[in-house]
Amino acid sequence: MLTKTNPVLSDGTRVSDLIYPDTREVQMRVLSDREIYELEMDKIFGKTWLMLGHESEIPNPGDFMVRDMGEDSVIVSRDKSGEVHVLLNVCPHRGMRVTLTDCGNSQIHKCIYHGWAFRANGDFVGAPVEKEKMHGSMLEKAELGLKRARCTLYGGLIFATWNIEGPSFEEFLGDAKWYYDLLFLRSDKGMEVLGPPQRFIVNANWKTAGEQSAADGFHTLTLHRWLGEIGNYSKKGEGEGEGGDLSPEMYGVEVSSPHGHALRCIDLARKIRRITGLDPEKLDVEEKLKALPPAGMTVDMVDQLKNNLSEDQLKVLTSMPPQVGGMFPNILFGFVYIPQPDGTVVGSMTMHTYIPRGPDKLEFCNWIFAEKDAPPELRQKMLEQTIQLFGTSGMVEQDDSDTWPHMTLSAKGAMGRHMTLKYQAVFEKGAPEGWPGPGIVNEGFTKDDTQWHWWLYWNELMNAE
Amino acid sequence: MQTNQEKQDGVEVGAYVPIGSEAYSEIVSFLYEEAMLLDNLRLQEWSERLATDLVYTAPLRQTRLGVDHEKTFIRSVQHFHDNYRSILGRIMRLSGKSAWAEDPPSRTRRMVTNVLVRETSCPNEFAVTSYLMMTRSRFSADDVDVISCERRDIIRREETGEFKLARREALLDQSVLGTPNLAVFL
Repeated sequence: MLTKTNPVLSDGTRVSDLIYPDTREVQMRVLSDREIYELEMDKIFGKTWLMLGHESEIPNPGDFMVRDMGEDSVIVSRDKSGEVHVLLNVCPHRGMRVTLTDCGNSQIHKCIYHGWAFRANGDFVGAPVEKEKMHGSMLEKAELGLKRARCTLYGGLIFATWNIEGPSFEEFLGDAKWYYDLLFLRSDKGMEVLGPPQRFIVNANWKTAGEQSAADGFHTLTLHRWLGEIGNYSKKGEGEGEGGDLSPEMYGVEVSSPHGHALRCIDLARKIRRITGLDPEKLDVEEKLKALPPAGMTVDMVDQLKNNLSEDQLKVLTSMPPQVGGMFPNILFGFVYIPQPDGTVVGSMTMHTYIPRGPDKLEFCNWIFAEKDAPPELRQKMLEQTIQLFGTSGMVEQDDSDTWPHMTLSAKGAMGRHMTLKYQAVFEKGAPEGWPGPGIVNEGFTKDDTQWHWWLYWNELMNAE
Repeated sequence: MQTNQEKQDGVEVGAYVPIGSEAYSEIVSFLYEEAMLLDNLRLQEWSERLATDLVYTAPLRQTRLGVDHEKTFIRSVQHFHDNYRSILGRIMRLSGKSAWAEDPPSRTRRMVTNVLVRETSCPNEFAVTSYLMMTRSRFSADDVDVISCERRDIIRREETGEFKLARREALLDQSVLGTPNLAVFL
């Protein structure tokens, strides 16, 4: 049970008063205030599970890479036995960073300052001139290892937390796991990265990107309007309007979570009808999978889905597959079906983390994935398409990274910081009849519920112990 | 200077084209004009200088030990991984109504220096390296983003005598880019 402690800022404002539950508003001060940011580093980034990458980035014993948990640098390493460890990249001796490179392969991590050395699992090996005992005799060697985070793998994705006794990763995902499994646990061999992540800095508070990841559908209509005007969605279906109107893409089911996770599941029947010309009403689950395989899979691969997913999960995957969304606090996923000029579809599988770098700065980290057994031509197409649409030079996400800094600037004004973010578009229908999945489920045109639940969990953690 | 045959990114390169020679000057002019067109948002005219078999990439960079220098260039996932068609797609978007990442546009200044030109096994193609330092001023920010890279180009002389950019690999210096996107061309 979390104990409420209700932190109070130095001007007397309670953090909990920055959220207005009755009217679903959030005071914009949260996007610029340093005190709030410092609290977040402890209460959010010090407590929740955080994504650091994928195990396919460090396939061999001794492989390591340096990543971030909040503002803490960590070493993600694979030891001789193949186990993955997450270690604070701070020498217990004098605080120097132990590893200064982005990645490499080494059984031993040796600090360049005084030479203290550590194994891939963080154990302290020793310091130079062993007989003179640089580490003294006050502490046992066993107490002088690198600080270890609690670590777990999910579909090969590496998650870690400093909350050693806290909820398990499964508890953290809760009901949302049933849906994430449709993406990350769907295939026999699993997915892998196509390379290291793209990394770049955006001068914006991390929550501008974090809350958007909680399935903000509405922004697509305007910010990404080019997709409808001249981009991949400019070819319209019959009776589906003209110009930049992307609203037909906005119908579906949205899953939200008391832990701030969110998934936008977008109507597949419409896509099947438009792309294949088949009548989805007349297709069974298997026929639908073969008509339009999940993003990143081929017709040959869809038989694997039955090995890994339940009948109910397959029902959702073939009617309302999750396509975009996030995991609290700072993760976005996109498993999207992108229409091609020749009438076919190529999937993109991408994940981002938004690493806090101060109240008005974030690092955008973008991984691109493919199924391990996807054919080489498909992998190449997915790689190029994903780079062209998402991440650094991505034509979709260029516009996001140019938007978030302005929200952050707005939140600095004496007046602006007291304005509010509004999440007042509320679902009214609930889940579709006969919906087989768990969780908070709503049907219809995209709404704000998922993002509002993101903020409620933010508020819960900020006011917890 | 070396004049022997060697390989640079898979292309057989030969003698350096002397600085000050006619061919060298023509290529430097091509690069300066290109920078001028891009800085002045004349993207359509820039596109006319691209070869239809263009390969346009920007590797990721990683911080590695000195002995692993070659491993600092990552050519699996990259920042750009484009061809003629996709670059035209980018230009079409930037010329459209809703490319907010560059509308209002950045004020950019592309400074092109350290140009070295080498012959290749194709008599009409030159392997050209240049340094690019771009400043990118956006909105009312009182600082500019600095984007620096080495560009390795293949520049081709067409039968008409015009030059075309057939290949560009931009080796960015930063492992974490200090600009929020690459909605600008390198």
